[in-house]
Amino acid sequence: MNEKVVILRLNQQQLELLDRTIAQGVAPDRAALVRLALHEYAAKQGNAETAHDRP
Amino acid sequence: MTDRKVLFEWVMQPGTGKAIELLAGQILRIEQVEGLQCVDFNCFNLHDYKEFMHCGRTRTVHGFNPTKGSFLWSAPPRERALLYILDDTYGRNDVLFPRCSAYVYESAYGFDAHTSCQDIQAEAQREYGLTPDDVHDSFNLFMCTEVTMEGRATITRQETKAGDHIDFLALADVLAVPNVCGADVMRTSNFALKPIKLTVFQATDADVASVPRVPVLKSQRTPKDFRNAVIKASRELRRDPAYVAEFTNVPIVVEEVTVKLSADEIAMLQRLRRPVYGNDDGAALRDILFTWWEERFLGAAESGAPAIGDR
Repeated sequence: MNEKVVILRLNQQQLELLDRTIAQGVAPDRAALVRLALHEYAAKQGNAETAHDRP
Repeated sequence: MTDRKVLFEWVMQPGTGKAIELLAGQILRIEQVEGLQCVDFNCFNLHDYKEFMHCGRTRTVHGFNPTKGSFLWSAPPRERALLYILDDTYGRNDVLFPRCSAYVYESAYGFDAHTSCQDIQAEAQREYGLTPDDVHDSFNLFMCTEVTMEGRATITRQETKAGDHIDFLALADVLAVPNVCGADVMRTSNFALKPIKLTVFQATDADVASVPRVPVLKSQRTPKDFRNAVIKASRELRRDPAYVAEFTNVPIVVEEVTVKLSADEIAMLQRLRRPVYGNDDGAALRDILFTWWEERFLGAAESGAPAIGDR
């Protein structure tokens, strides 16, 4: 599977929250913040699943 | 705390309640005389009765069983911590059930007249000019409740003993209104009504110093912030012909944010997406974004409210 463009529909309040988060240095821009969220959420879910699978 | 100065003492007999002016820095102790008695509790801002304790806000921040270390909050848009629970020797209280009312006793038990928390509250607060419509949902002290797997709230018997008490420290001047719960045909007070002792103390410096800091935010609005701050005096509701809607942040404008995902990221999205969004990749990714944000940045995401103090 190659790259894919995903479009998020966000209102001005949601964007304000993202922009304030970006201003804290969490990510350089909105798209990067979304991708960071995906990676960190996936990692956390993966850790949770791993922990859950332990005997 | 033996060094607290006693300012007032009262024993509420079964079927009664008492409205008490409790000033900031004073403590109201509500104490079992014999044990096994539920107490309903309300309070109002002493200087503006339109601000009052709100079980919903309190429940959101502190859960179904507020106890020592919890605050009692006022309703939106005020949302101030009015009282702080300094001590609670039994540790079982309820913010799920509303006050019992005459309707309950008539509809379920056939009583023409019966002691009920609604009526007792109304009669006690009438001393300060309030009406029965001004009674609001109560904080139910020493009341043992549970939520079933089916989502129903249920009442169980309590095991309080003489001397069990809960201490409220006033953070603002309030009219505090406790009453002996009138439910003698329910298990709330183990099928008997008993007296309850009230004591007002002057808090010590150590008492006051033990209260965790709470946020002071501009969203904690007071009448000076209201577009309409006039208390309505008539009962009839009539449309204001001069009304022009001024809803916050309206219009809500949606903007598109384009995100390019790699093959690995697409696989992550497919693995994590919630079925509710069907084939809508944008909605699925937006859910992940805000779920991540809640978990990383919101203190108490599960309750949808900021964490308070160090509880």
